[in-house]
Amino acid sequence: MTMPHGHSIPPGGPMRRLTRFLTRTSGRGDSAQGFGVTDVLAYSYLAFGVLIVLVPVLWTFFTSIKPERQVENFDTRLLPYSQIEEEIAGVGTRDLWIFDDGTGEEQLVFKAGPTRSVTDVATPENPDEVFGVPRETLEPLEEVRVAVENYLDPILKRNGQENFHFATYLFNSVFVTVVATLITLLINAMAGFALSKYRFRGRLTFTILIVATLLIPASIILVSLFFVVWSFGIFGSLWGVIIPAAATPTGVFLLRQYMLTIPDELLEAARMDAASEWRIFWRIIIPLSLPALSVLAILSVIWRWNDFLWPLIVLISDPSAHTLQLGLTQFAGEFNTDFHYILAMTVVTLLPITLVFVWLQRFITTGIATTGLK
Amino acid sequence: MSLAGSLMTGLMLAWVLGGTVWLLTTRTYRITQVGRFAMDLLGFPVELTQSLFGRGGVPYALLLPNMAIFGLFTFAPMILNFYVSFTGGSSIILFERPWVGWEKYGDIFSCENFLEPRTCENAGYNFFTGLYNTLWFVVIQVPIMCSVALLTAIVVNRDIKGRGFWRAMFFYPVMLSPVVIANIWNWVLHRKGVLNETLDGATGALNALAGLSGFDMVMTVSLAVILMVVTERALRSASEPSTAWTGVFAVILTLLTAWANPLSLLGLSGSFWLGLALGLFLVWLVASGKSAARTAIMGAAFLAAVMLLSIQFSTVFDLGSYRPNNWLVTPNTGWPFFWLVFVFCWSHMGFYMLILLAGLQAIPRDLYEAAKMDATRPWRAFTRITLPLVMPTLTVVIILSLIRSFQIFDEVYLLTGGGPGRETYMIVQNIYEVAFTDSSPDYGQAAAGSVLMAAIIAIFTFGQLWLTRRQSDL
Repeated sequence: MTMPHGHSIPPGGPMRRLTRFLTRTSGRGDSAQGFGVTDVLAYSYLAFGVLIVLVPVLWTFFTSIKPERQVENFDTRLLPYSQIEEEIAGVGTRDLWIFDDGTGEEQLVFKAGPTRSVTDVATPENPDEVFGVPRETLEPLEEVRVAVENYLDPILKRNGQENFHFATYLFNSVFVTVVATLITLLINAMAGFALSKYRFRGRLTFTILIVATLLIPASIILVSLFFVVWSFGIFGSLWGVIIPAAATPTGVFLLRQYMLTIPDELLEAARMDAASEWRIFWRIIIPLSLPALSVLAILSVIWRWNDFLWPLIVLISDPSAHTLQLGLTQFAGEFNTDFHYILAMTVVTLLPITLVFVWLQRFITTGIATTGLK
Repeated sequence: MSLAGSLMTGLMLAWVLGGTVWLLTTRTYRITQVGRFAMDLLGFPVELTQSLFGRGGVPYALLLPNMAIFGLFTFAPMILNFYVSFTGGSSIILFERPWVGWEKYGDIFSCENFLEPRTCENAGYNFFTGLYNTLWFVVIQVPIMCSVALLTAIVVNRDIKGRGFWRAMFFYPVMLSPVVIANIWNWVLHRKGVLNETLDGATGALNALAGLSGFDMVMTVSLAVILMVVTERALRSASEPSTAWTGVFAVILTLLTAWANPLSLLGLSGSFWLGLALGLFLVWLVASGKSAARTAIMGAAFLAAVMLLSIQFSTVFDLGSYRPNNWLVTPNTGWPFFWLVFVFCWSHMGFYMLILLAGLQAIPRDLYEAAKMDATRPWRAFTRITLPLVMPTLTVVIILSLIRSFQIFDEVYLLTGGGPGRETYMIVQNIYEVAFTDSSPDYGQAAAGSVLMAAIIAIFTFGQLWLTRRQSDL
């Protein structure tokens, strides 16, 4: 399964040798592996998988730049088409249609009455000369236009989209993500430092306690966590989302494992120079564990940005405290027919995380692969 | 301002003011050292601990914030859960909640027949419906996702071009939030969405193709040629048949069996599954190097040829008009459940694939080299080298995904809302709705449900650990 299925070197004429040359993948001469059927199967599996991953996301993106009418009609053409309108003297702004009378001669018209099997139309030049044509002979006159208003309306609160407080949601999301990540980094690094560089009574107990928290799923303590958060007076505020999730067992472990590789001599040398323990932590440990810290930072950003259930419980009653995820849920719930807005806001929500991913993809995948747990 | 709020403010003031005074009296700072001062101020409690108790006290001070949060927001709620589950009423002040003993558990276990949620009282009905749905979900989803993740990891671990790209692509959905995922799939699975549109188009195209004259003959001839080539390829090597080509052969055999529908002669349905079973059996025969493999392939090729001749392609591909499916809404079709499993795998598979990939890469290459020297068959190399050595990682992956899919909430809540009816109503949704969306929230009931759910997760996890106790490294 894991070995490419190579052919032995086949004897044969020039054709055979040519095929062998063309399908060779690596190595040279005799040791070359043929591009066998296993490779074909592997690549088709991968391509198929990537299609399944990407097509829904790309489809969402392409829909989000289509004009409202095209989205409402569930038009499945890939590009955003919108019908060209024209200001017609004495009539007003009308959509333009192409009328084909069957002889191949095309005429620009607008509809002068309701759409029936025989529709009344007129040309923009002679708006008063109304004539009836069969409905099937009319084709919309279209141009490709990116519907920026799908994005701008909710963000700028135009066209009746006052209920989507984009700026507030974005601020809340960024606030939660940034503050929670900073707190997480700081206190997890402190705990990791203590567990990796000090020998003290209770070290094993603390380590076991942290392992135990790994095995307690968040959703089984929902109800009582609600009581605790409520009695601390942070229920309904962003701090109610930030604080409970700030200490992560994954983070402590990741940093502890990394800090174990920092030589003790460095710390001893600093102690010789009468540096305080806090300064050692800040000036030596933190700079040296930057790789691990950045992995944790990325993980924390992803977790906090995508968080849903706990913010839903804590923040749902106060619209001014909604995060982007909650705002989007409410938005999709209230106006579930305005797909063009919903999809545009969906794209806005997935964009930051996608950019982070494209930028740091190698770092993230190797980071998670080496630290393992979530 | 609440009590906790004023306490926090006081603490902050003491920290900043006390710290400033203490630092300025014990140390000297130049005006350019503002940054150093700020950082010392941040670690002021640690510094203070060191000067009061010496270096021995420092680790405790360093651990304090982390452990305080763990204690208050993880361990305390864990214990509190038991207490809350024994209290009633809808008060959110703990001391005002009346003690009701086992009543909440009694409500859940009020069934005449525990396997039939319909026979329960209301609370029990909801709980057991959620529980059984979740169990079904876990039982179906975890094996599927783990095998797909393992397969993908193995393929990505091959000597392929652009490994980083494939790895990143499969991981990408893990980064997306549940809300985004739900919106995307809602749009794709809409009754007039792109999936229905594509299926409609495909059906129309097939119908049109099947309507062409001579379609039957062309299909029969071209499939016969393909069948011949594949069989020849599979049997080409003098020593033993090629596994990969047998795989291709198995796919064709499955399709032919499904189309020829031999079981319909007996008045049965399910020819596709018969074909799939035959194909898998064939692959297994070849992969494990059974001596009968060559004969089996020839027999299967003969069978396939007979079936090929019996197929009327113009009727097989005449699918009739396609009726758009309301994937997430139509009851009693199983589609909502199917799409939940699918979307959940779609969004989480990449993460487990990465962990498995790390496990696979830790396997020494020499082992495969040695196996190649001994002319070991790929399947044998897989079962004797890959599988045993990746087993510890696989165990971790199974446990993690088990815990994760037991807690499924976001995707269901946003995609189907538990519907249609109660078909996709999961246990966390039950807890959430009982505690947080009812007009009269019943926290005791929800806590009792949580305790039971924790017990079930624990049983599953430890059962799994016990089953694989030799391989696990958790």
